[in-house]
Amino acid sequence: MTTRLRLQELLGPILIVIAFSYVVGLQSAQGLLIVQSTLALFVMVLALHVFVGNSGVLSFGHGAFAMFGAFASGIVTTPSNIKENSLQLQHLYPFLVNLNLGIYPSFVLAIAAGALVAGLSGLLLMRLNGLAAGIATFALLGVAYNIFFYNNRIGPGSQALLALPPFQFIEEPVVLTVIVMLAVYLFGISRAGRTLRATREDPLAAPALGISIMRVRWIAFTLSGAIAGLGGAMFAHVAGTVQVQDYYLPYTFMTLSMLIIGGGASLWGATVGTLLVTGIGQILLMMEQQKPILGIVVHIPNGTRAIVIALSLVVMLLWRSEGVTQGREFKIGMPKLRK
Amino acid sequence: MTLLEVRDLRAGYGKVDVLFGVSLTASKGELIGIVGPNGAGKSTLFGAIVGTVGLRGGSVFLDGEDISGKRPEDIVRRGLSLVPEGRQIFSGLSVIENLTLGLTGRRDKNGEKGALDRVHDLFPVLTTHRDHQAGMLSGGQQQQLAIARALVADPRVLLLDEPSLGLSPTVVKDVFDRLIAIAESGTAVVIVEQRAHLVTRLAERTHVLRAGKVQATLTKEDAADEAKLTAAYFGSSGE
Amino acid sequence: MIQAILDAVSLGGVYALAALGLGLVFGVMRLVNFAHAELITVASYTLVMTHQFPLVVSIVLSVVVASLMALIMELVAYRRLRGSNPATMLIVSFGVSVLLQKVYELVFGALPRSASVATGLTGAFTVGGVSITTASVVTIVLAVVILLAMGYLIERTKLGLQLRAAASDFQTARLLGVRSNRLIASAFVISGALAAVVAFVNVVGNPQVDPRFGLDITILALVGIVVGGMNSLRGSALGGFIVGAVLSLLNVILGNGRVYAYSWMFVIVIVILLVRPGGILSKFATKERV
Repeated sequence: MTTRLRLQELLGPILIVIAFSYVVGLQSAQGLLIVQSTLALFVMVLALHVFVGNSGVLSFGHGAFAMFGAFASGIVTTPSNIKENSLQLQHLYPFLVNLNLGIYPSFVLAIAAGALVAGLSGLLLMRLNGLAAGIATFALLGVAYNIFFYNNRIGPGSQALLALPPFQFIEEPVVLTVIVMLAVYLFGISRAGRTLRATREDPLAAPALGISIMRVRWIAFTLSGAIAGLGGAMFAHVAGTVQVQDYYLPYTFMTLSMLIIGGGASLWGATVGTLLVTGIGQILLMMEQQKPILGIVVHIPNGTRAIVIALSLVVMLLWRSEGVTQGREFKIGMPKLRK
Repeated sequence: MTLLEVRDLRAGYGKVDVLFGVSLTASKGELIGIVGPNGAGKSTLFGAIVGTVGLRGGSVFLDGEDISGKRPEDIVRRGLSLVPEGRQIFSGLSVIENLTLGLTGRRDKNGEKGALDRVHDLFPVLTTHRDHQAGMLSGGQQQQLAIARALVADPRVLLLDEPSLGLSPTVVKDVFDRLIAIAESGTAVVIVEQRAHLVTRLAERTHVLRAGKVQATLTKEDAADEAKLTAAYFGSSGE
Repeated sequence: MIQAILDAVSLGGVYALAALGLGLVFGVMRLVNFAHAELITVASYTLVMTHQFPLVVSIVLSVVVASLMALIMELVAYRRLRGSNPATMLIVSFGVSVLLQKVYELVFGALPRSASVATGLTGAFTVGGVSITTASVVTIVLAVVILLAMGYLIERTKLGLQLRAAASDFQTARLLGVRSNRLIASAFVISGALAAVVAFVNVVGNPQVDPRFGLDITILALVGIVVGGMNSLRGSALGGFIVGAVLSLLNVILGNGRVYAYSWMFVIVIVILLVRPGGILSKFATKERV
């Protein structure tokens, strides 16, 4: 939650993300994978922060934009001859079969796809508040899932998209992530961003001041759709193989948890939440697999990891609903002592 | 005898404090008024008394018993009823259903029929519209229903928040006449009103609440004096 | 044709019960309980795992388990959220739902468990030359009986009156003396019992129970309460019925396009939220819109 450019608020999280990426990513192939998937999820969390964090309006629907982004990018980066011959892609519309783009142009397409779907649906949905928004966006996710699951003319339907080209260098997802962080922070301090947060604080005062709530929300929603499209596309290329279920409920839950646990209102919150959940998730995973952590082996039954994350979300919402960071941005120095 | 005693009450919402030490009493058969500008804390005061708003300091006594911070459903059973602002009748339920709900708060389950008969005598319109949806009644009729609904619980103290809201002058007079009758039958009646003139001439005492504090207390006699009323309402220094 | 109508009415009946379960809790707390799915699931597991017992015992057990689970949910997770904003409660219930699903995975395993429950109901019989499935008839009868019983409870008993009042205006109900804790607990227990009935009907038709068994029907029950009106118990049941019946009919009518029936349902939800946020039966728009 911030109103003007304070360099440390932006650089702090960026440097920490870069540090995390290199420290963990250069250790092993396993580490590299962890970093890349974390960054892809982080971009999605940033998309959620842009909208949910700034407007205070819940959205369950961003998985839909991720789906569009992922499949847009995935399909055009799959070579035409594979598209023509593969079982799951044989029914694709001809223009999709013939369209081939490199990975970065495909990201542009993914961003555009996400923005378009968000922009259009936002025209309808941005009127809604609170619970209605939550349910309507959930319905949006449901529609996207239903369509992608059964339609094999625009995508692989219920089957998987295979062999998507990966990132060559660790710098690629890192740079993309940093650019998104920059965009998100700049939006936050922009006039639209600040206006949007004003509507979150007091939705009744805003129209009285001539602010159109719908308009600023729509801007944030569309921007978040664009970023979600990119996040979905990144996730697809990191995983190499994606299916529509990968962007449905577990994905929605995971990314929302990361945002809420860290604190949805700030860039720092999104960063902390993602790293915390990833970190704890990894440790728990190693415990499930009986790998030693700092030399000690603790074994927990399979499935505990997911339970702990779900539990953390519930506990956080019950106890500190603004997350670990309580809406504050990154700051070096002693926190002010409370009187 | 003092039925309601509020001592140095403090209350608020979230980070904001609204009441900064309010004290008042209401005795058997008395009609007490509370007036003041918007935002003064009048509704908050009632909320703190009945338990829907958290107490941050001070206490509330009902017939000598400390009810500070108790839950609304317990307080009503001890004989304190609130007719909330805007009447808040259940518009989808029938008139008789609304009244039956009011019986939930009675201590003495035996007198239910008697209580219903009494309110039907007091407000004949309820008999006429017994099975009609409460939402279809006129504003004045809904106000009568809201008061009746609170009365069937046999309260010793009746609080009313802005009973004149949205009602025409003739209807208001009718409602207030009945409130006087209720007070005369022994119940302590406390009325919050924005339209000060409605209560000042009727109430034994009218407290002027401003910025969370009782700034002045007027008696019936004082109320007749315009100058005193204005001074109390707006502050003698003309803030 | 007749079977299609019977199927539509029977599915409608089941979804009415599911939606009513959701609607009861929403009415008293403004909470959309996603974890209602897990109530249905745990009741289903109970039925499957006690299938060797007499059917009545099995059913009673499933009702007890589901109602207990509902009470625990209320006490542990939802009590602290009373009065919170409904969107927060929605996420928490989502979290509780995921949490329970994972717990079920841990306890029962991720693979489906199955057993034949009430096999006597899986056949078909002929009436006037038309073949009708026993299950659809039994479901309709069961749904009608329970909906009538619920109707009696809601319209003619003191508890029902309090539930209706609370659904309309919880705060004022408290002012009149309605005991909030008891009322909310009652709503949860009844919703658990309704979940068990829904579980029974589903398990008879499809005895493969996995941790996500109750999910689909709960999502559609959610659609149902939005369609019918979240502020009214009658509306919830009616909305659920409409969703179930329409879904069943769409399956028949749309032919190949029927897989998109869900999408149509969701689009209807969005339209209703925009145009009549109180549901089809409501008369007023609410503050849920900007």
